[in-house]
Amino acid sequence: MNVIDYKCPSCGSGMVFDSDTGTLTCRSCGRQDNIEQTSDPLGQRTASANEVHEYHCTSCGAVIVAEAETAATTCSFCGSAVVLGDRLSGKLAPGLVIPFSISKEKATQAFKKWCRNGLLTPNKFMEANRIKGVTGVYVPFWLYELHNKVDVQGHATKVRTYTRGDYRYTETDHYDIYRRLQLDYVGVPVDASERLNDQLMDRLEPFPYNQLKSFKTPYLAGYVAEKYSYTDEELLPRAKNKIRDYIEESISASVKGYTSTHLTNKQIDTRVKNTDYCLIPVWLFQYNFNRKIYTFAMNGPTCKVVGKPPLSKVKISAWFAGVFGVTLLALELISWSMGGGFL
Amino acid sequence: MRRQGALLGLGVILFFLLGHLLLPISFASADAGEKKLIFDKAKLLTEEEYAELNTMANEYAAKRDTDFIILTTNNDLNLDVVLITEKFYDTQAPGYDKPHGNTAILTLDMKNREVYLAGFYKAEKYLDDERLDRIRSKITAEFSEGNYRLGFEKFIKTSYKYMGFEPGVDPDNILFNVGFQVIAALVMGGLVVGIMAARTGGRVTVNRHTYENARTSGVVDREDRFIRTSVTKQKIEKSSSSSGGGGGGGGGTTSGGHSHSGSRGSF
Repeated sequence: MNVIDYKCPSCGSGMVFDSDTGTLTCRSCGRQDNIEQTSDPLGQRTASANEVHEYHCTSCGAVIVAEAETAATTCSFCGSAVVLGDRLSGKLAPGLVIPFSISKEKATQAFKKWCRNGLLTPNKFMEANRIKGVTGVYVPFWLYELHNKVDVQGHATKVRTYTRGDYRYTETDHYDIYRRLQLDYVGVPVDASERLNDQLMDRLEPFPYNQLKSFKTPYLAGYVAEKYSYTDEELLPRAKNKIRDYIEESISASVKGYTSTHLTNKQIDTRVKNTDYCLIPVWLFQYNFNRKIYTFAMNGPTCKVVGKPPLSKVKISAWFAGVFGVTLLALELISWSMGGGFL
Repeated sequence: MRRQGALLGLGVILFFLLGHLLLPISFASADAGEKKLIFDKAKLLTEEEYAELNTMANEYAAKRDTDFIILTTNNDLNLDVVLITEKFYDTQAPGYDKPHGNTAILTLDMKNREVYLAGFYKAEKYLDDERLDRIRSKITAEFSEGNYRLGFEKFIKTSYKYMGFEPGVDPDNILFNVGFQVIAALVMGGLVVGIMAARTGGRVTVNRHTYENARTSGVVDREDRFIRTSVTKQKIEKSSSSSGGGGGGGGGTTSGGHSHSGSRGSF
């Protein structure tokens, strides 16, 4: 049983996850099942990943067209929500999930609103009437808990200057400094999908971890889900890289009060305390504009949109001219008020 | 529509600003009744140069209500250059507004190779000793090299320019420089648009505190050990104002009782 679908116990229609109520809902008879209280049909299974290369829809029997990373999709023939069980079990079993909490319609509305807010985007683009596809995707993320022991040593100075008589004195106090910091980062997210742009995913953060739930397959019903392409070990360097700047900032924040600091020795010992495999909801928008396709991603729960929109040359020029004119006028007024004459 | 209206308005403002910038200064009417402002007794200028300079001096005079006078002399009587200037003012009674009125005079003593700049009334106020020193330091080199016409022209133009600034402010302040203002405005425009364009793709909204477990994170141990103090001392340079070929000397009062500012130097 590699393909899981959700048949309504009352009427036999396909059920999907409803983001508004957070329940498994039957579109035909309106039955709603609480996901956290029902048993997951995935259960305990031993099938290992990538063994099966062809999946058949349990409703209509058609071959399910799915890419190698897909873990949940809808049957392209009958539209039933299907979950590919073997891609979510064993090593590939997610521990946590943030379920979709806003509907496709609301997400599209939020996206259109974002399009209208662009200051440099062409007016035609702002109308947002060429949205080609809206897909709700559960993107695989690794959430790292990283504990860091940081030891730094260095040299710092405090400088005072004062004048006495005809001389200017510069007095420099030299210090040896030492700091030990404990820096624990929890839930550092790194996207484990090969298909999605890392930079795009980084900008989607932060994700609302208070909506984290333990994983159950019905949350995926009706959405697309992917399995991870990289393991937590493979992505550890990226996670470390992400916290590197935070550590540096914390170090410099701990040596305040000096005129200059020069660190001679820095030791950072990073330990991976825990990693969680988590599915995070992202809305993907395909926008057709001027014969080009633009891809935008929206943080499912927070509606934050990322992605490069087209830029209008006219608007860029207008803004440039406007800022130029206002600045020049302001400088003229300043110069005039200082007694320098107007031009 | 509102946006287009605003753009149009901005365009109009820009047009006027640029128009103001590009308007040639010598656009003013060349009146038939030209005053004689160049007194070239040492014959340093050709007929043509003389006519050209005199016209120019008249034009600039009208804009600042001040006569810009150039006086050259072979100084056969070997008088002091300041005295020559004061005598000239008392006897010739120049002035844009009235006899013995607003006047700026450049006197070139070819015998002792000395130059003296003086400002009377409005010019005394707007071209004080310090400003005249600056003008003199800008033009002395031309006289040393024999480019008299150029030196005179520079004197008229620079005096005209400096008189556009209220007394007491630094006329060479970079804020007053139109070129600097235009460049600063261009940089500002580029910066703002650049930041706007960079932000269209979505900003990073997480910082070091987002994932930090505040309860367990922080400075565990610290030590700041004082080692020593080092002291250096530096003599404060007194700014010396004497410039050019051994200049100095300020204003005074003519025997006719007209007070003036001044700057004197050799070339």
